[in-house]
Amino acid sequence: MSEPQHRFDEALISGYLDGELTQGDDQRVRLHLEDCTECRNIAGQMRKLKEATMTSEFQVPEDTQWDEKPRGSVSGFLSRFGWMIAIAWVVAIIGFVIWQVATDTENLLEAVLVFGLWLGFGLVFLSVLIDRLKTYRTDPYRRIEK
Amino acid sequence: MSARIPRADRALLAQARDGKPEAREQLARRVGRSAYVFALQITGTPETARDVAQDGVLRFFQHLDRFDAARPIDPWLYQIVCNRARDLMRRERVRRHESLDAWLEQGHPEAADPSADPAADAERHDLQRQIWRAISRLPEAHREIFVLRDYHDLSYREIAEVLAIPQGTVMSRLHAARKGLREILIDEGERSLDEPHGRRGEQ
Repeated sequence: MSEPQHRFDEALISGYLDGELTQGDDQRVRLHLEDCTECRNIAGQMRKLKEATMTSEFQVPEDTQWDEKPRGSVSGFLSRFGWMIAIAWVVAIIGFVIWQVATDTENLLEAVLVFGLWLGFGLVFLSVLIDRLKTYRTDPYRRIEK
Repeated sequence: MSARIPRADRALLAQARDGKPEAREQLARRVGRSAYVFALQITGTPETARDVAQDGVLRFFQHLDRFDAARPIDPWLYQIVCNRARDLMRRERVRRHESLDAWLEQGHPEAADPSADPAADAERHDLQRQIWRAISRLPEAHREIFVLRDYHDLSYREIAEVLAIPQGTVMSRLHAARKGLREILIDEGERSLDEPHGRRGEQ
């Protein structure tokens, strides 16, 4: 079947079938389809495709054939395990430093100042790291070719 | 069995976010089915679709707390599934057509509920099988957009969101997909497209 040779944006036919056109474009397509047999045929065939597709039924696996509840994958488990180790390590370091400060009564002021400085830097670094990781993990387009 | 997600599912979503186990399970089942059907439609492989769906549901629940409950669930879910399916399809491209052909030979997709006209039902089912076989031969970008619109009934705005393309591109790409599908079917000798339609009602 030959394609229409006239000046008409054929993609509007799809917009028309989907009810996605503005009122003006909708009217324009409607009038065009009244006059143009080829476009009317295309629209009719596309409508038939659309109807047949919409009424297709797909069987899904039985509930017993797969896990209904979300379950972590191996990478998810490793990721969580890694985070647990990292958090435990940070807690241990902080605890050790606190203990050092508490037991070193001779240079208490100096120790508190140094500890406070490092703690501040550490927290800022941690917050940036968490934000970056969250952004990376929730970015839906990171695996899509742009 | 319909795999489409009802739009008015906000109560279930809210309960799931509150951590109610029954609501979470019900939501997982619902989105899992929908994710499976969409994954099957774009990958054509039941085993891959199941992997994609399970992974999609997992990611869906991982980010449930950050999801804006005022928005419909499906575009977000399909976006997750689409990304995952693309990853897997790049690795399993070679297997794809063989799996789909075997799946279609088993009688899928299912015949819809019978009407009073068995001959019309058979004809429609045959056309549906031809269509899904032809869909599997479309380029990936066309297959995704066609399925999202003509099976899952997403609006152009939602499709643009799922596929991360400008809204203005949706109509032209969708039309190209429909044209491609129509040409494949005509090349394969499918004649029922030219027969008068309207048996199932005009739009």
